[in-house]
Amino acid sequence: MTSRSLFSDQRTQAAMLIAPAFIIYVLFAIYPMVDVVALSFQRWNGLDAHKEFVGLNNYVDIFTKDPVFWGAFRNTVIWTILSTIFPPLVGLMLALGVNQPIFGRNGLRAIFYLPVIIAPIAVATMWRWMYDPFFGLFGQVLTSLGLQTWIQDWLGNRNIALYSAFVAYLWQTVGFSMVLFLAGLQGVSKTLIEAARIDGAGRWRVFRHVTFPALKPTITIVLVLAIISSLKAFDIIYGLTGGGPAQSTQMLALWAFTQSMQIFDFGRGSAISVVLLLITLCVVIPYLRWTRNSEETEQ
Amino acid sequence: MTPTAASPYDNTLQKPQRDWVLVALWATLVLVALIWVAPFVFIIFTSLKSNAAVMASSAFAPPVDPKFANYTGAWDRGRFNTTFFNSVIITVIKVPLGLFLSSMAAYAFAKIPFTGRKMLLLVILFGTMIPFQVMLAPLFTLVNRLHLIDTYPGVILPYLAFGIPYQVFILQSFFRGIPKELSEAARIDGASHFTIFRRIFLPVSLPVLAALLILDFVSTWNEFAMALVLLQDRDMWTLPLGLSAFQGQFSRDYGQLNAAIVMTVLPAAIVYLIFQRYFVSGLTSGAVKG
Amino acid sequence: MRLITKTLRTGTMLAALAMGTAASAEDITLWTLNFSSEASNAAMQKIASDFEAANPGVNVEIVTRGVDDHKTALRVAAGSDRGPDIFFSWAGLGLGGEYIKAGLSLPLDKYYAQYKWDEELVPAAASFSKIYEGGRQGVPFTFKGEALYYNKALFTQAGITEAPKTYDELVAAAEKLKAAGIPAITFGGTVNWHLMRLMDVILESKCGIEKHDALMNMKTSWKTEPCAAASFTELDRWSKNYILSPFMGIDNAQSFNLFVGGRAAMMLEGDWLVQQLAEAGNLDDYDVFPVPTGTNRLYGFAEYHYISSKSKNPDTAAKFLDYFMSTPVQQASLGQFSTTSINKNVTYKDLRPLDQKWVDIFNTYTQVYMNGDQAFPLDVTTEYFRVINEVASGNMAAADAGGQLQAFIDNRR
Repeated sequence: MTSRSLFSDQRTQAAMLIAPAFIIYVLFAIYPMVDVVALSFQRWNGLDAHKEFVGLNNYVDIFTKDPVFWGAFRNTVIWTILSTIFPPLVGLMLALGVNQPIFGRNGLRAIFYLPVIIAPIAVATMWRWMYDPFFGLFGQVLTSLGLQTWIQDWLGNRNIALYSAFVAYLWQTVGFSMVLFLAGLQGVSKTLIEAARIDGAGRWRVFRHVTFPALKPTITIVLVLAIISSLKAFDIIYGLTGGGPAQSTQMLALWAFTQSMQIFDFGRGSAISVVLLLITLCVVIPYLRWTRNSEETEQ
Repeated sequence: MTPTAASPYDNTLQKPQRDWVLVALWATLVLVALIWVAPFVFIIFTSLKSNAAVMASSAFAPPVDPKFANYTGAWDRGRFNTTFFNSVIITVIKVPLGLFLSSMAAYAFAKIPFTGRKMLLLVILFGTMIPFQVMLAPLFTLVNRLHLIDTYPGVILPYLAFGIPYQVFILQSFFRGIPKELSEAARIDGASHFTIFRRIFLPVSLPVLAALLILDFVSTWNEFAMALVLLQDRDMWTLPLGLSAFQGQFSRDYGQLNAAIVMTVLPAAIVYLIFQRYFVSGLTSGAVKG
Repeated sequence: MRLITKTLRTGTMLAALAMGTAASAEDITLWTLNFSSEASNAAMQKIASDFEAANPGVNVEIVTRGVDDHKTALRVAAGSDRGPDIFFSWAGLGLGGEYIKAGLSLPLDKYYAQYKWDEELVPAAASFSKIYEGGRQGVPFTFKGEALYYNKALFTQAGITEAPKTYDELVAAAEKLKAAGIPAITFGGTVNWHLMRLMDVILESKCGIEKHDALMNMKTSWKTEPCAAASFTELDRWSKNYILSPFMGIDNAQSFNLFVGGRAAMMLEGDWLVQQLAEAGNLDDYDVFPVPTGTNRLYGFAEYHYISSKSKNPDTAAKFLDYFMSTPVQQASLGQFSTTSINKNVTYKDLRPLDQKWVDIFNTYTQVYMNGDQAFPLDVTTEYFRVINEVASGNMAAADAGGQLQAFIDNRR
């Protein structure tokens, strides 16, 4: 067997192993992504036989004529910022906590992680019921504390509805960050910590100068994952507020869905999707670069 | 119940006397845990109350006269027979199939050198980051054109497509860590890559596969947005769709609504509690070290 | 076992889909919504099988779906050559109109003449078939009215002795209730169409027939028409003073629970609420009166059956619809699909008092004004919802609301 034919043989084998997964991936994940861009330049209501090419009209429409788009854009940005800060921060604190030698830490860990495995739509249904202004959990807790005046129309008041939804999201996602941080903490050198402690460093200094620097790669990954999953926020908003009241909690992903699948304006819906896609790329591409670079330096 | 003194093998502060910082920390964590658990307690309690009891009694009052009929009622009204069945079928087909396809591809990426490997891998990695929520409408039109709306293949294929990247990525980084010696010998004996993959790599990667299996089970079981678009016929609905519709239709029956929530959440929760350690290892093997 | 049946069924379904139009010339498929009760379902199946028995060789298949699925399924069918022969939709330029505009519905003038449908249909119910351009579309399936239900005890407690006769009396009654510490009415804000009903009836009261219809048909500017602004001002007043608060964060079902719980005095609901009230409370505690708009039109909407323009057997489909609407069939299935029939020859007896009240109401009115979400196209409906909710939650000045809605309408392509 010549090395050349061996190589081609290798190639064939590789192709055969990769092909099934890759074909499905390209057909059902990459193709729709290309299609959404194509649809965004067309006008189509899902009923007509023909799609009409309208150039940039859909983009002009969503940027200048859609009374909801910019609100949804703003909410998406707020949501992303919040979910880049709070779930990782709380997750880190919990991870540092349950990493200590304390009683029942495994049980605590399990409790904090439990919401992660629940369907987001079920989380939304749960929290919607808890936010019920008449019989819900929050109303009752506040009443029993004598704080009736604090009771809000949690999901009906446009000034707080988005944040109410975010609290539910926080509850669900903190466990995920926590577990990633716990894994990262296992990689922190014990000898370094010991050494620092022998040098008389207090808890804070140990964290600041030993633990934190060692966690940096983990932090990057947690943050990137937090940003990406926040851009995907769909189920929880769909289930909690449906974008209401008065579209004040609308998000780009849900608004794209609403335009396409409920108003049946596929062109506009796709244009909104493309905007969201571009935002995602702004996060993903630098991250891919970073992983590739760090991979290369590893090798 | 006080915090135990630091055990010798632990990597954190060790002091002989009781560490009050740790006590305070422990108390805080327990408090947070109580808050974390409270929603579950509230939901379970409500699921066992009649509407009248819900409106009259306090949220955390245990149900005096547990109304288990809420569960049977919600099961029938929510058509859990159908939705449960569909969820099981979809998950049971999708999860193993997806893992098998992914591990095949991952093996090739990890162990067979070929040109364009890096490029292809990057395309795959790209897929782990793209929100499919963006593509609901084109997915719908694509599946519709294939006449697969309201069919199992129509939802399983997109599920596979969006599950593959993550799994391929994790598995190929795991396979790369497997020492060359293991496969070299077999290759010299003239075994094909298919054989090596099946005989050597699949067995050694069982723990990782198990972890991915559990994770994928949960995410497939919980998936909502794609199912919402691709499964229009209520006879094809999965559990999350059923729950969402239940909330829309019967939300005035608080007890049954909460019973429906419990029944939807329970399977995943049980799987989690049984296979807890795999979750952590699965997540960390992929996301952090990958 | 279940698995096998299910797989078989799916297989058969796929085969049927693949065959599609190759099906026999005597097959009629009707797509409609899920029925709320088993009795309605059985009634529908019985009508179908009786028709099959009377017409040998004809096979009628009833396919039911949830509201959203049904809408999407029609879209799916529109893009291909398969689909129903008869489909359910609401009447009006909104939901029904969209399909008609896309050419999915077959004009039925021929069959209206052939079967003399106008002679047996309730005029108000049949009137919707005439609102489209290019011929008469669809036939009525049900006709539903919406009115104000009230809690008798709470009205007495507030010193209201008789049902309001004018819009001003209605506001006065609400004011009396407020003075007695009783929220006048309850709505659920999360389902946008619930609160919309209040806006719809206020608009009818403030604008009168012509202006109301011109606004809903988007022929008059919401920005410049003073009655539109006046209506939004009224909506603002109701939401600030008379609606049980908070209401934006709850849905219609929750608001119904609050109504039954005696937390609010009124509810603006359809004739179907009688059954729900009977199940949840004591019917004697409640009464109903039409919203006193002063226009002598009833607030309501019709559900229609349309024959698909793609149907291979439109004649058989029309024959089935004729059978469906005939007096004996309607008499036999009375109360299964709605309180009253769309056939005017049907007689009523042994009705519950509230149902009797509804029959009286239906007999009193010959004209109808319909729900905003049936009247507007889908995108305008979405914006109408948004503007209503903004005003009701105090976030948009009532004076600006009309302008916002009109700007959206003007911007449509």
